[in-house]
Amino acid sequence: MTYVFQFGIVLDHFDRMLAGAWLTIRLAGLAMVLGLAVAVVCAYLRTAGPKPLRALVGAYVEAIRNTPLLIQLYVVFFSLPSLGVRMDANEAALVAMVINLGAYATEIVRAGVQSVPRGQIECGVALGLTRLQVYRLIVLFPALKAVFPALASQFILLLLGSSVVSAISANELTAISNTLQSTTFRAFEVYIIATIMYLAIAVAFRGLFAALYWYVFVRGRGR
Amino acid sequence: MRQFSTNEFLFILAAMQWTVVLSLLAFALGGALGGLVAVLRVSRLLPVRLLATGYVQLFQGTPLLMQLFLVYYGLGLFGLRLDAWTAVTVAYSCYAAAFLGEIWRGCIQAVPREQWEAAKAMSFTYLQQLRLIVIPQAVRIAIPPTVGFLVQLVKATAVASIIGFVELTRAGQLMTNATFQPTIVYPLVAALYFALCWPLSLWAQHLERRLRVDNAMGRKK
Amino acid sequence: MTRTPRLFAAAAAAVLGLVLGAGGADAQTLDRILKEKKIRITAQIDSAPFGILDKDNKPTGSEIETARQIAKDLGVQLELVQVSGPQRIPALLSDRADLAISSLSITTERAKTVWFSSPHGALSIVIGGPKNIAIKGPADLAGKKIGMTRATLEEQEVPKIAPPGTNIVFFDEHAATQQALLTGQVDAIGSAAFLIADLAKKAPNMGIETKFTVTTAFYGIAVKPGNLDLLQWVNTWVFVNKNNGVLAKIYETHTGVKLVDLPPL
Repeated sequence: MTYVFQFGIVLDHFDRMLAGAWLTIRLAGLAMVLGLAVAVVCAYLRTAGPKPLRALVGAYVEAIRNTPLLIQLYVVFFSLPSLGVRMDANEAALVAMVINLGAYATEIVRAGVQSVPRGQIECGVALGLTRLQVYRLIVLFPALKAVFPALASQFILLLLGSSVVSAISANELTAISNTLQSTTFRAFEVYIIATIMYLAIAVAFRGLFAALYWYVFVRGRGR
Repeated sequence: MRQFSTNEFLFILAAMQWTVVLSLLAFALGGALGGLVAVLRVSRLLPVRLLATGYVQLFQGTPLLMQLFLVYYGLGLFGLRLDAWTAVTVAYSCYAAAFLGEIWRGCIQAVPREQWEAAKAMSFTYLQQLRLIVIPQAVRIAIPPTVGFLVQLVKATAVASIIGFVELTRAGQLMTNATFQPTIVYPLVAALYFALCWPLSLWAQHLERRLRVDNAMGRKK
Repeated sequence: MTRTPRLFAAAAAAVLGLVLGAGGADAQTLDRILKEKKIRITAQIDSAPFGILDKDNKPTGSEIETARQIAKDLGVQLELVQVSGPQRIPALLSDRADLAISSLSITTERAKTVWFSSPHGALSIVIGGPKNIAIKGPADLAGKKIGMTRATLEEQEVPKIAPPGTNIVFFDEHAATQQALLTGQVDAIGSAAFLIADLAKKAPNMGIETKFTVTTAFYGIAVKPGNLDLLQWVNTWVFVNKNNGVLAKIYETHTGVKLVDLPPL
């Protein structure tokens, strides 16, 4: 007997999948903003901070980049409670995603910072700016511009990677898909729809990034 | 209650071999296919470029988990039953090819225009320009990010557990279920991934330093 | 480059051939199993006490033993197809397994997708707590603090019977729920019966007992729709082994609680 696809059974629960997709978007979006903030601070500390801090940030970046997100999630979710830090599933998922993205983005922003021509930094120093002012006023903007595509790719990877947070029962798109396929057993239909939704979200984010790039870096911005 | 001890540790350690084998397999085949994607992405023919772009968007825009699921179980519905090895080979190659192709495209495009033009002036064909002049230069830029992607790939092999491979992550989950000691098992699994990936990361950084001049913000040279 | 089109053509032909070749009528599945002398059954080894790895990392548990018994009675070799929860049914529908035996609770919704055998096991959700807490029925839950684990059957079923004034708190893991009971943070917990039995053994001085049964879910063996011959044999197998006590013995060995009466499907 050949398999007959029954998308109707799944589409009856489409609102739940939309709710899951919305949580995915919110988690990823929030993690992007916070992760970028972490990265901007850490990239400064990594390049111009005091030595112990530089080493500390380096250790953070290496520890995160060389272990899987799922394992980081488990550590945040299962190990932090024993230290007295209790979080619900969504908070734990967000924390793990920010920590994860922060490390990758730190490395990317650092590469951007180092791509800024030496002369510009020396100009700033000659004008009597402090290191932090040089970073904030002179280096950061062209650095972010240079690495924007790499950051955008990393964001998309995080968005798709967020599917693993279903493991700790945050109710995002993958978690909802798993629940639905378990109640209906229509795994193929559920996953096909989920895949299309992920693709749509990813394409939408890429469009958003392109618009953002144009708005911030191109539109007659003579910095 | 079963305790976590040597036996459990060895189980997890043994699972690590699958992580390594899967990574190498995906990298080798994905690399071959990725080269093709990169070349198609910079093709002068618009339809070819669009096709390659669509491919990259599709495989970079959907979770690897879903890709593998659809290749293994989805095709199975239509009677195309790939065995587990073929399925992971196909899925990981396509996945790696999308990312490597995109990395390498950037590297090809980073080669200055003048290099193409000079080669053209010497009446090289398009493919000769690419093969003899551009790619050798692009490879230099490409090596550090390629090794960097290999780190991502090692971690992505965890997904293969959905079609029955007991690799590092899955072994960790199974031992957690058997021993109820996640606080021992997961940090251990993290450490093992770190042991696999960190040398690669260091190597990538080493290559990056050798192949690039940096301004070292704040660092006096 | 001249090679590429030919390569594409060959690949396309191969794919087309496989797809077309697949549409053919299913051979009788039972006959095929007997002829190949091998049956493939799903094994979920991350869900104690149904399926788990033993000390030597061999699969064990009540559902794994059920699969072994079935292969033995068929007189064929057993191939365990390792899956985790979400892959149980895809493995069956994509013909990677002949039977799914993975504590699949029987529901009308699920029966639209797979065919269930008569139940061969049951999962009772009970309220359990220490002796000194007086709970006889659902009404006594009012004013009590009841703990349970998220994403479980008890999470769905207990709130349905709980009277107003019941304080239900959720934990993310069974271990956390049990810990909450042992430390007195909750008065009682909603949980699978075998987990209460397990807990009573772990903390003998607490006098933990089953207060009452909330609901019983029956689980069965699933076959791919259309495999009538195999389903018929499985139903016969369940009937025989229910009556000769084999099913009850497997269940009690692995869960530590008695198997309830199994009605036919």
